[in-house]
Amino acid sequence: MQPRRRVPAVRWFAVTALALAAAGCAPNSVTEQGEAARNLYLLFLYIAAVVYVVVAALVIWSVVRYRRRDDELPKQTHGNNKLELTWTIIPTVIVLVLFVFTLQAQDKILDNSGQADVNVTVTAFQWSWRFTYEGAGAEVLGTPESIPEMVVPVGQRIRVKLVSADVVHSFYVPQTLFKRQAIPGVTNEFDLTFDKTGLFHGQCTQFCGLQHTDMVFRVRVVSQNEYRSWLAAAARRGSAGQPGT
Amino acid sequence: MTDEAGILLRVSGFGFAAGIVYWFLSYEWLGTVCLLLLGAGPGFAGLILVHEQRQRGGTGESRAAALRRLAGIPPRDPPGSQELEAEDLGVLPLPTIWPLAASLGVAMLLTGLIYGLWLVILGLGLLGYATWGWLAAVNRENRYGRIQASTRAPSPQSGPVSDPRPQPDPADADQRRETGTGPGG
Amino acid sequence: MATTELPLPALPEAPHEEPGGIVDWLTTVDHKKIGLLYIFTSFAIFLAGGILSLLIRTELAQPGLQTMGENTYNQVFTMHGTLMIFLFAAQVSTGLANYLVPLQIGAADVAFPRANAMSYWLYLFGSLIVLSSFFVAGGPAAVAWTAYPPLSTEYFQGTGMDLWIIGLAVVGIAGILGAVNLVTTIFRMRMPGMTMFRTPLFTWGVLVNQLLILFAFPPLTVAFVLLFMERNFGARFFDAAAGGNQVLYQHVFWFFGHPEVYIIILPIFGVISEVIPVFSRKPLFGYRAMVFAFFGIAALSFGVWAHHMFTTGVVYLPYFSIMSLLIAVPTGIKIFNWIGTMWRGSITFSTAMLMALGFILVFVNGGITGGMIASPPIDFAVNDTYFIVSHFHYIMVGGLLFGMFAAFYFWFPKITGKLLSERIGRWQFWIFLVGFNLTFFPQYLVGLDGMPRRIADYQLERWSSANLASSVGAFLTGLSVLVFLWNFVVSVRRGQPAGDDPWEGNSLEWVTTSPPPHHNFHHLPEVRSERPAFDRRHGPAFAGAGAATDPERDVDRG
Repeated sequence: MQPRRRVPAVRWFAVTALALAAAGCAPNSVTEQGEAARNLYLLFLYIAAVVYVVVAALVIWSVVRYRRRDDELPKQTHGNNKLELTWTIIPTVIVLVLFVFTLQAQDKILDNSGQADVNVTVTAFQWSWRFTYEGAGAEVLGTPESIPEMVVPVGQRIRVKLVSADVVHSFYVPQTLFKRQAIPGVTNEFDLTFDKTGLFHGQCTQFCGLQHTDMVFRVRVVSQNEYRSWLAAAARRGSAGQPGT
Repeated sequence: MTDEAGILLRVSGFGFAAGIVYWFLSYEWLGTVCLLLLGAGPGFAGLILVHEQRQRGGTGESRAAALRRLAGIPPRDPPGSQELEAEDLGVLPLPTIWPLAASLGVAMLLTGLIYGLWLVILGLGLLGYATWGWLAAVNRENRYGRIQASTRAPSPQSGPVSDPRPQPDPADADQRRETGTGPGG
Repeated sequence: MATTELPLPALPEAPHEEPGGIVDWLTTVDHKKIGLLYIFTSFAIFLAGGILSLLIRTELAQPGLQTMGENTYNQVFTMHGTLMIFLFAAQVSTGLANYLVPLQIGAADVAFPRANAMSYWLYLFGSLIVLSSFFVAGGPAAVAWTAYPPLSTEYFQGTGMDLWIIGLAVVGIAGILGAVNLVTTIFRMRMPGMTMFRTPLFTWGVLVNQLLILFAFPPLTVAFVLLFMERNFGARFFDAAAGGNQVLYQHVFWFFGHPEVYIIILPIFGVISEVIPVFSRKPLFGYRAMVFAFFGIAALSFGVWAHHMFTTGVVYLPYFSIMSLLIAVPTGIKIFNWIGTMWRGSITFSTAMLMALGFILVFVNGGITGGMIASPPIDFAVNDTYFIVSHFHYIMVGGLLFGMFAAFYFWFPKITGKLLSERIGRWQFWIFLVGFNLTFFPQYLVGLDGMPRRIADYQLERWSSANLASSVGAFLTGLSVLVFLWNFVVSVRRGQPAGDDPWEGNSLEWVTTSPPPHHNFHHLPEVRSERPAFDRRHGPAFAGAGAATDPERDVDRG
């Protein structure tokens, strides 16, 4: 009978969809805080994929199985209260569960109760960045043509104090899975603890005017020894404004 | 209460509840004020509808049933008659240029805030003139009649309705419309 | 089960309504003409906004600035968003509402026909003011459609920004005036027998949409007044150095901004709720639940605005997170009820139905990613990236456009008396479905990879293939719109005559002629359920459950 032939198609569709969804990638993170975000995202992604596959399968099944074949009116069902209750309660429960997991991840990401190892004040301005290392006398100043690098040590808690000199900007390092707006008149503080070394792309992601596109920066995460020597050299240079070496 | 009042009062309830909860969670002024106003606005409108209906004699629904309905629990039996009073359904105004003129006046008035007082004054003038013409048209049509649509409450059998009252012929209505357009029309 | 249909009595020939000269259109107070004015104007603006989007996609197809400078690009995306969101999306539904709501409730016109005309003209003049910003020194605003200060107040000096504010304020007034009109109409002018719970779902969708407009547009007007005063009269609401607070703008703007997206989509939910039952030959499953879901969505939409502000660091995250996640529940109810309507139905694949199915598949995608970004940790990662852009385009382009085309294919026969070509419509549907997904799915992927939005150029080479695919898809989508325009032109001239009720529709508009007479109805049938046209066709001889004479019919199933 016709309907039976369709079941394998639905199963194939479901598998492909799930595979695609998983491949749709959870971005990898390079910070401890980002790890929490990544795991939460994966949870949402799997539930989302299942929901989508179920809904799509139901739609496709209905249109295949219930095509008009004759002039008979189908049974004029007006509704079913049990079903309504079911598909109200189950999504509510799912949503509440997701909310609980959200709160847990959020607490981990926003927890800045620990002692900071490095304090950097990031000043966003049209159209680049200034990184000021508090207490060390070192500063990095960028321009749209000369991309500034924020050098930080791996494995240590970096406390970023984010301010804006003019309009609203946003500090975003994609691989940290985190961003924060720099709002004039507001001082935002957050912590980043990098767990691998490397060079990571960063960009302003709140539209801030003509050269918003060029407001790029980089974060260079190095070993703690390298960081100490860089910091000493930078302090000797004073506020000379070179990108990190 | 009527369904309409119910809708407005529920929205109002939400606005107040959300606003109060939000205040104690965030102490943020603007959102709280917005939510409380969301409560006040429809609440006011809903209460007016309830009051109006009470003056007309009410739906015959008990207060308990009304509260249950407000909470979203539908009643077992529909309370009393569910027919609407057939209000004057078919009153149509004549075509008129005044809405366009008034809109142009508003647009000029507000654009004048950019380009200067002269444009504000011009806009205000046009708006005033259009308002005067509009009110004159309303007054005239109230006195001398407009198109009456030929729809009245249907007789109680399904299918086409034969209305015992003589209906104005649609062709006549078109005629009347044409003669109606004059200065200020 | 055999059915007996009453032979339909022939309704009197509708006197052929001449389109009338220009004066007719300038002075009209007829809701049908006003509805058409809204639809044509907003569609023209849609085409302009669409061209702007093609400019964006042309620039982003490859890395490097090939076609325009940064300032021009910033203006292009600002005006693309402005035109689409402020001047098209809400107004195309208002046009449909203006045309259809009085017909669906058995009224001869709206409550305040002259004010209705004024709403349209205010919308037109406001739009012209906004569009005039293209022609002034400095060109149009380049501040993104959200126009955050201080960028929009201190850093963009041209008159274009002021014209943007004033034009949109005028359009806002139009919206509020129209909302008063339509809410009053729906509350007060339903024909006898049409209780609120026998009102068609499209009218319910319009009611909720207009209530949202009534309460969301005033905050927007406030935001505009504040911006204008800060730009021109020395106010310092948003200037921290003078004691102001930038975040205040974000709050008041988004208090409008979030309900705005529901303003845009709720009438479309109504459209889908009309189309699916007709082409499944079953009543809408769970009518009451659908109505409650409308209100659940509307109420919640006022409680979630700061999910657009999660990355500011100054909002109370859990409140907005749970409210945003909860919107998934009433939205899910609607989707399951649409499926329930199709289930065990008898489905015909007219173009309108195809568009409705496309709507479900595409909208659910956007809805699900919306659920993801309701979670602040996820939003921290993807906010202001192409993930967000893709999410809202799945809703706004996928949801809104599929629904809008479903509405056009469904109601074009009622409005013109002719059918749109189903054959051309199928072409349009498939090209649109493929083109749309090709445009926006890759954007999820680059967004997850970190590509920010509102950039004229991107630095990372690995984003170029997704961007190229997206740009190809955009042109394909544009092609599908051209296919629709061709269908429209061809069908208006040589379309098959439709008759009064080509689809065996459910609601009252299918009882009158196509097009309807000036005062909408020559005769009104009895209304004993939410499907008066259906009841009229099947009459007392149809003894199945749900029939007009079924004594069980009006008892609430609790």
